Amino acid sequence: MTDSTMMLPSVSRLLSRERLVRWAPILVLGLLVLFFPFFEWLMDFLEGKGHAYLFDSRFFSIRNAARIGIAASPGLMVAVGVTFIILMGSIDLSMEGTVSVCAVLFAFVFLAWGATLASWAWLAVPLALVVGAAMGFVNGLVHIWLKIPSFMASLAMGFVGTGLALILTGGDRIRIEDELFRSLLTERIFNFPVMVYVAFFFLLVAWFIQSRTTLGRNFYAVGGGEELAHASGLNVERVRLMGFTLAGVFFAVGALLAVGRIGIAETATGNNFLFISITTVVVGGTALWGGIGGVWNTLVGVLIVNVINNGMIVIGLPAFFQDGVLGILVILAVALSVNRRSTSFVK
Amino acid sequence: MSFIKKFIEQETINRRDLLFASAYGLGAVAATGLMGPGMARAAFSDPTVAWSYRNRTNPYWNEIVSGGEAFVESLGKPKSFLTHLINEGSSEKSLADVKALLSKTSGELALAIDANDAPNARPVVEACAQVGAYVSTLWNKTDDLHPWDFGDNYVSHMTWSDEGPAEQTARILLEAMGGKGGVVHLGGIASNNPAIERLNGLKNALKDYPNVELLDAQPADWDTQKARDVMASFLTRYGSEITGVHCANDTIAYGVLEALRAEGIEGMPVTAYDGNPQAVKHVGNGELLVTVFTNPHWGGGITAALAYYAAIGAFKPSEEPREHREFYGPTIQVLPEDAAKFKAEYIDSVPTYDWTDFWGPSNGQIEYK
Repeated sequence: MTDSTMMLPSVSRLLSRERLVRWAPILVLGLLVLFFPFFEWLMDFLEGKGHAYLFDSRFFSIRNAARIGIAASPGLMVAVGVTFIILMGSIDLSMEGTVSVCAVLFAFVFLAWGATLASWAWLAVPLALVVGAAMGFVNGLVHIWLKIPSFMASLAMGFVGTGLALILTGGDRIRIEDELFRSLLTERIFNFPVMVYVAFFFLLVAWFIQSRTTLGRNFYAVGGGEELAHASGLNVERVRLMGFTLAGVFFAVGALLAVGRIGIAETATGNNFLFISITTVVVGGTALWGGIGGVWNTLVGVLIVNVINNGMIVIGLPAFFQDGVLGILVILAVALSVNRRSTSFVK
Repeated sequence: MSFIKKFIEQETINRRDLLFASAYGLGAVAATGLMGPGMARAAFSDPTVAWSYRNRTNPYWNEIVSGGEAFVESLGKPKSFLTHLINEGSSEKSLADVKALLSKTSGELALAIDANDAPNARPVVEACAQVGAYVSTLWNKTDDLHPWDFGDNYVSHMTWSDEGPAEQTARILLEAMGGKGGVVHLGGIASNNPAIERLNGLKNALKDYPNVELLDAQPADWDTQKARDVMASFLTRYGSEITGVHCANDTIAYGVLEALRAEGIEGMPVTAYDGNPQAVKHVGNGELLVTVFTNPHWGGGITAALAYYAAIGAFKPSEEPREHREFYGPTIQVLPEDAAKFKAEYIDSVPTYDWTDFWGPSNGQIEYK
């Protein structure tokens, strides 16, 4: 009797909600990485051509890791951008428009100034980042000056962006055939293409901003308690504006990687980034009301989503399962992160 | 008390007016009933011309609408004369926009439309017929809806049967594979009719090639980036078992080519569909085996032209045979050897079409299974 009363608190402490919430995403990722090779092994076994579990797995291989890396890189950049916004307790839904405009403007300038990175055309890369920043800045201004909720302001700005990209291209797609720029995809270092390293570099930059700069700490302060931050003398509006601008820069990086990946810039370049980025941020464990999470959570979230997308096809499940499973994961992730005892109503 | 007298007089006159008005109204209704719908109005001299479609982001719809613009230019009007109704993939918006334009133009409208999904075609056609506007549809309509059931107002319907042409591309692919090995198919949005037909085309062809296995077929939603990801996953699953790739359209094929390029795989036979300029270039380079051109430019122009010329009374739809009311659009196969010629004829210079030759390039009456 005494034993069990002694045991219970320690077990419950070990499996406390906070701990579970904190480690659940990485646990899910680990399970998925073991689960897909198992199914693969099982199906091969049933067909009578068994292989050594994990060692001979097609899913659990460097080549496939590189494929997942390529699929994940642009989405990771966009998701990292929106992570900052979600940390502040706001939301940014403008990524599809911003990505399209950055991709299209980059392609136009790149082709006009020499069409290869070895010429002045390389200036198109920083230009794209500036365009992203500018779009994020305007997005923030609309949100702050006009006092429009961020979800509506950014959604509207996203539509404006998509429309702008369409006007710029007239519906055409622009090919980028420069071998040097395409080496983002074709050149490999230690089995992984360059774009994966580029994405990782920017992830480190984001981590630096998040943990080592005042701005990064301020994101948490605003997300954790806006009134408190304001009362402490923090210029909350300025932090928000900086946040949206920063997010715009990361959207632009995502756009560049997306163009590097398929060699085409078009209005549709931004398609699907909205759903994927919000899903990955939430699945990674960043709370939608701000203050909890960070860019490493987002990395885990992006990997979870891309491992599922890749693994489902590798084990041969029909595509509609993928969306269903992702939907369930989002609900689970949010349900885990909500403290229902302290929340009386939800809007 | 003169004002009372005046009031009574006025009321009497009003009542008489009302009676006259009612009688007149009834008569008008009766007359319309006698003459039947579509006969009640004379042909229009200058109807509004409108195209209702999803959006312009998609290169295919961009081509369709550029055809519509080329047609209005042939009338000596500016491109902006064409009214664009953009439904963004919503049937409700499609119908609401059409109704709004009908009331704005009081029915003096020549409408070309893809109703977004098949069930939406009926309310659109009925709304047009009711006010005497002229409508031609493209792609989507249910099998029980026919132009000849609406007199002159439902001018025509055009669609493409993709099963046959997709079967031909599949045969070219299977021959290139040497009649053995494994093929994967990357399809459009799972429930889209052309996506289903194009996969069926492949399956039909496979019946004659027992040594080729259909390894997998997954939807890639007509999207280059998604196609790239799906192809990368296929490579993980099947690796060197894949010896040929059948794509449901060009944009999917671009994604497949990039996935292969990332892996350094060269010389894999890949087929496409739609005949977009970039795909034709790939066919010329030998990166793609074949694509099929459906001439969306002509399709978009002629659909608007049919509605317009019926609206101004240049021809009477109800006097045309059925193969002129419901017909298949053109399909042209583009192989490496004719890529250069095709590019010169259709891409470098957009051909000037005779927009009064309504049925020249068409492909026979629609058959229902």
